[in-house]
Amino acid sequence: MRASTWTVVTVALLLAPAGSAQTIQNPTLRRAQQAFDNLDYREALAQGRAALRERLTGYERARAYELLGFTYSGMDSILRSVDAFKQVVLLEPERQLDPNRTSPKALSAFQVALTQVLVVRQLVIDSVTFIGGQGAVPIRYTVTQPARVVTRVIGGATSLRIDSTVATGQVNLRWQARTPAGDPLPAGNYTIVVDAAVGQNNFSTSQPIRIAHGSVDTVAHLTSLPGYTYLPETEVPPKSWKPMGLALVYTGAALAGTSALSSGDLGKVSLREGAVIGTGVVAAGFVMMLKKPAPQPARGNILYNQLLREQIARRNAEIAQENTRRRQQVALTVAPAVRPTTGGVR
Amino acid sequence: MRRYCRRFGGGAVSAIALLTVPPPNRLTAQHFSVGPQIAFGDYKEVSADLHYRGGGIAAKASMSWKKFSADVVLSKLTYKPEGGTATAEFDASEVDVRVRYYIAGPVSGELGFINRKTDPEFEAQSVGAAVIGARIHYLLGPGVRVALNGGLLAGSKFSGGGSVSPLGAIQLGLGLTVDALRGRLQVTGDYGFQRFSRETDDGSGPASAPIQQSVGRIGLAIAF
Repeated sequence: MRASTWTVVTVALLLAPAGSAQTIQNPTLRRAQQAFDNLDYREALAQGRAALRERLTGYERARAYELLGFTYSGMDSILRSVDAFKQVVLLEPERQLDPNRTSPKALSAFQVALTQVLVVRQLVIDSVTFIGGQGAVPIRYTVTQPARVVTRVIGGATSLRIDSTVATGQVNLRWQARTPAGDPLPAGNYTIVVDAAVGQNNFSTSQPIRIAHGSVDTVAHLTSLPGYTYLPETEVPPKSWKPMGLALVYTGAALAGTSALSSGDLGKVSLREGAVIGTGVVAAGFVMMLKKPAPQPARGNILYNQLLREQIARRNAEIAQENTRRRQQVALTVAPAVRPTTGGVR
Repeated sequence: MRRYCRRFGGGAVSAIALLTVPPPNRLTAQHFSVGPQIAFGDYKEVSADLHYRGGGIAAKASMSWKKFSADVVLSKLTYKPEGGTATAEFDASEVDVRVRYYIAGPVSGELGFINRKTDPEFEAQSVGAAVIGARIHYLLGPGVRVALNGGLLAGSKFSGGGSVSPLGAIQLGLGLTVDALRGRLQVTGDYGFQRFSRETDDGSGPASAPIQQSVGRIGLAIAF
């Protein structure tokens, strides 16, 4: 009794979200649901079967089979429960039961049902952007039975096989979105179709995608290398007495020369003119001695900066080549579009 | 008057603009400067009694191009007797041309000529000579250059006759150039000393009649 009560609660919880999206209009099915809620399984079975003989929407039909599956599992009729859940899976291949809200018996019956029908579920294509030829689109899906699974992309006049394999369980693919010639697939709307076949059974599901082309980002040129800065190409030497000394030497040489070279017949030599100009020279030398010396080229720093500039120029040349290559490339953006319908048995 | 003032104002503005614009020759390594100078000098001839001192004006133009450089100095000094036996003053107009070629380090070779005329003609000797010498220069600091030059005054000719032995005529000089206004304006100072060990012969044998001049010049120059 406690297990039945728990089952009823979980079924009610499971059905509630689905019912919020689409409601059950059929009165017979409503009565069946009501009977199930009242733990009147026999009445629920009778009303459920009666509802299936009436005109139902796909959603209502799936709910009716699901109700039968839960009812049979509640009545410990597992085989019938599995049969009912198989119909649910065929009608709604993406249907999932929440393991936290479903009774273990119903959940195991649902899992057994999944292994007894061939469906491709949970086809997922991730949004991705990559440079054509250097990336891939992740595609994954789940096959419920071992089957030959062929994955194709269809769009306009394009129909390309992406993969063909015998698989069961989850399958992961990486599709480079290229034509057989190796070129990026043209921009546009496409559909990824997954066909699974085993014996007479086959199943197909699809997911529309949109492929857009864009330009590849180029790399900015370098103006400096990280961690390396230009050094000053001139440096101020320390103050020196040299200007004053040289001024004195030059002036002394001029005055001494005048005195030495003057003619003895002409008497005392006039040093007035030389002294005036020499005073100016010495004064200039004195000022230059006190003044901050003029910056001198720093050879080491000049060579270092030259090496740094050459390194940056070499790196920029490489970047320019890389950018030239990138401008010839295409950035592919693949994004899944809204899926119009779910798959179905053919 | 108004017109003169207007013209003066325009000229002043032009001069200021000229002095404040950085000289383009810094880029081409060609330098040219020209400007006036005030000159003052001391002149002696034959003996200590013929002693003159005076002043005047001068103009100096300098040019450099690659390893060549040249100076042209025009000066006119009025010498007045400075005691002794001299009684009349005279004007000395001198042309001094020097062409230099950079050799190595601070050294340049120097060639040129001087030509000094006196007026009245017989108050002092007019002189002409070729200059052969050398010049060393040094950069004391940013924009401050000092130079020392010396050489022979070869082939000296005098208006009153006479001759000089090959090593008897010499010249010596000291120069200073200070850049101002970002090199557009230069303050110049030059000192020049000449000595001619001239000998004359009036038939009674060789007689010493030396000539010696010291000239100082201070001025400004505009660099282009």
